[in-house]
Amino acid sequence: MWEMLQYEFLQNAFLAGIMIAGIAPVIGVYLVLRRQSLMADTLSHVSLAGVAVGSLIGTYPMVTAMIAALIGAVFVDTLRRSFRAYSELSIAILMSGGLASAVVLMSFNKGASRGFTSYLFGSIIAVSTTDLLVMAGVVALCALFFWFFWRPMYVLTFDEETAQVSGVPARALSLAFSLLAGLVVAVSMPIVGVLLVSSLMVLPAAISLRVSRGFTMTVWVAVVTGLACVLGGLTASYQLDIPPGGTIVLLLLAVLVVVLVVKRVFSLGASRMESNAKVVNGKTVEER
Amino acid sequence: MQLAELRDVVFGYGQAPVLEQMNLQVGASEFIGLTGPNGSAKTTTLKLLLGLLSPQQGQVEFSSTGPQGKPLVVGYVPQNIASFNAGFPSTVSELVRSGLYTRKRWFGLLPSKEVDRVEKVLKQVGMWEHRKRKIGELSGGQKQRVCLARALVLEPDLLVLDEPTTGMDVEARTTFYDLLQHQVQHHGRTVLMVTHDLEETLPRLTRLLVLDKRIRFDGSPQQFQERMDLRARTATLPLYCCYDDEERDAALVAREGVL
Repeated sequence: MWEMLQYEFLQNAFLAGIMIAGIAPVIGVYLVLRRQSLMADTLSHVSLAGVAVGSLIGTYPMVTAMIAALIGAVFVDTLRRSFRAYSELSIAILMSGGLASAVVLMSFNKGASRGFTSYLFGSIIAVSTTDLLVMAGVVALCALFFWFFWRPMYVLTFDEETAQVSGVPARALSLAFSLLAGLVVAVSMPIVGVLLVSSLMVLPAAISLRVSRGFTMTVWVAVVTGLACVLGGLTASYQLDIPPGGTIVLLLLAVLVVVLVVKRVFSLGASRMESNAKVVNGKTVEER
Repeated sequence: MQLAELRDVVFGYGQAPVLEQMNLQVGASEFIGLTGPNGSAKTTTLKLLLGLLSPQQGQVEFSSTGPQGKPLVVGYVPQNIASFNAGFPSTVSELVRSGLYTRKRWFGLLPSKEVDRVEKVLKQVGMWEHRKRKIGELSGGQKQRVCLARALVLEPDLLVLDEPTTGMDVEARTTFYDLLQHQVQHHGRTVLMVTHDLEETLPRLTRLLVLDKRIRFDGSPQQFQERMDLRARTATLPLYCCYDDEERDAALVAREGVL
């Protein structure tokens, strides 16, 4: 198994996977708790339009994808405030807008359709050294953000109004978080692909929320789950010659199903033991 | 000493104002109940006072210091906060501790004196034994008590609560109001609370405000009781006439010819 790491492209893929899996689930936990689970999906569709622009004008696609994601993040945050009662509307508006732009822009550049496939579904041979450096920059930025703003982000995520009263600059912090989410989505594309990038954010959070007690534990369990599934998925992808994005997401889904089933069995067992204990106690009292 | 003041405030969500020429002063060590019919802008008033909304006209002013001369600290428990984010993956003590995360405390270790307060307020609200439970596992009343503890942990000079006892049973409500009264009487805090539960809160309040687009009544519970005694005579008049001297008198004169 270890011999596969002698290939440079796989070393790059694993390094990229570790970096993405280290940060995407953290973003995912906040997205889920802020009821913005579909935001990553939206930003990935907008990023795809950025990739299309990049290949059309002949520049490095990840940069144009990042720019598109940043613009998308600003729009999501602004529209979310404009449609406060229907905040998911902003997601729907941008998702359709992003995908429509991408499809139209791609049609102008028919020769690049093969390259687009790797952005749509992810590819372990698509990660270049430049991609790795950009990813490392984004991950470092995210790490700094959460290091400095861990406490205000917690307060903001729990309740925006109480956060504002306690002096948290809710609007600025919320926008900064959306921008970071956009950047992470854009740099995750080469590995998991546009269509599955949100799963890498949301599924580890969903798994972690089922098993963790406390906020810090939720974040750490999500990161560990993400890392395990990304590394496992990349290995399986290489060994079985299947797309990495889909493999990683299927692995995450499998873990989620196992967690849900095990939790259900445990809770059924616990309630059965509780009711048995009541019956036993009842009989003992009657006999006495 | 005035902690906060709304002066000639006008506010509306659309074209029609929901608050007209609102004047309100909040002093130290007061237990103020804010009541009024649905849609009378009670929550809006609190949000204007807290700076969550900006007035279209008029001014909102805060004292820079509290009664002890230290910077003014404000605590806030919004309406239904506990049910809004019930699935938040926090333990009770983690959530209460987060009440300490004001701008000055974003970085570094929290002073042990402040961390000790988490235990103190959890004991005050009767939730210490539940400190390791997830908030999603608590009942509605328990969640509200945790949210109150979170607001109290900063030792606020002004505590603003928006219908904090929604969903609580009678016993839990009584305990909750006793706790708020204790904060006013023994810690010198000011409590401003939106409530419809006048029967239980009135004996504890030091001041009652009745709101309907503007303040219709502002006085002590005793004065309010006197107004309520007139209710039989004013039963067919609009509700606010029970509280507003001028409008009540005008309505009575219009109907009965005499006061």
